[in-house]
Amino acid sequence: MISASGKLARVVLTISLLSTAWAQRRRDPLNPPEADQLRDAAQEPSERLKLYIEFARTRLASLEQMRADPKITDRAQQTHDRLQNFLDVYDEMNDNIDTFVERKADLRKPLKAVIEADTEFQSKLRALKSSLDADKNEIKQYDFLLTSVVETVDSSLVDHRQLLNEQEEAAKHKKK
Amino acid sequence: MRFQILMSAVLLATSFQAFASKPETVPEMIARAEAAKLEDRPALFVEIAWRQLRSADQLYTVGKVEDAQTDLKDVVSCSEKAHDASIQSGKRLKNTEIEFRKMAAKLRDIKRSLNFDDQAPVQAAADRLENLRTDLLSHMFGKGK
Repeated sequence: MISASGKLARVVLTISLLSTAWAQRRRDPLNPPEADQLRDAAQEPSERLKLYIEFARTRLASLEQMRADPKITDRAQQTHDRLQNFLDVYDEMNDNIDTFVERKADLRKPLKAVIEADTEFQSKLRALKSSLDADKNEIKQYDFLLTSVVETVDSSLVDHRQLLNEQEEAAKHKKK
Repeated sequence: MRFQILMSAVLLATSFQAFASKPETVPEMIARAEAAKLEDRPALFVEIAWRQLRSADQLYTVGKVEDAQTDLKDVVSCSEKAHDASIQSGKRLKNTEIEFRKMAAKLRDIKRSLNFDDQAPVQAAADRLENLRTDLLSHMFGKGK
């Protein structure tokens, strides 16, 4: 027979394991198969950026899917977590672009795909933002984050376009 | 005589230029940041943290793990100073929070490129930056005041 203090200890242990699991999940926005795919892509810009686009796209799709599900009860928290997850992946993609620029890699082809994805993300995020008028209390929980995500994608799109122009100009001069 | 004066002036100007163009060392940058106005410190410390983070990335790439870990300590300590200055001055809270977010993303990317044994300090640095970031967010929304 388990005593009351034993039961309490079990409950505490379960809670602590759950919170550790949550922390572990939060610690890396990518799951192990995604991390393996990145490792396999090594430092190949085209492959890596293609993967990041796919990972970011998956996260936005999961956000849309969750929001369309009427059974979801903690919609605000889930929206927050999924937006954060998208932003973490998107930040990493941008960081990879910076690294490739430092290494003077030719990014013309992958940048076109990135810009296309930026435009897609931008319109999905705007659609999300404009669909939120219904529940002001819910929005409070992720309004700042959503604004940060929209601003990040908007400013990155400008940067990516500028970088593509610079690389295309540089390539023209090389040919001459 | 006039030629000698002219030559001395040229030499002096050349050596001054050479001295002026020498990149600032990290301790010099830290000293400058610490002497700066409180509201200017967040940006200066974030700049040093980024510099050390890029350096750590390069050192990990060439296998100099211990040197990279030393740089990581600078990343964390400078980020802590940027965080403190930002909260004390109430300036650049949002910008500092964004920079922490980006640095944490870079750290996670670096971590995945390393052997399992070398990953812990990188993860610890990323976690610390995430904590600092969360704290900044709390201050921005009035909970940390």
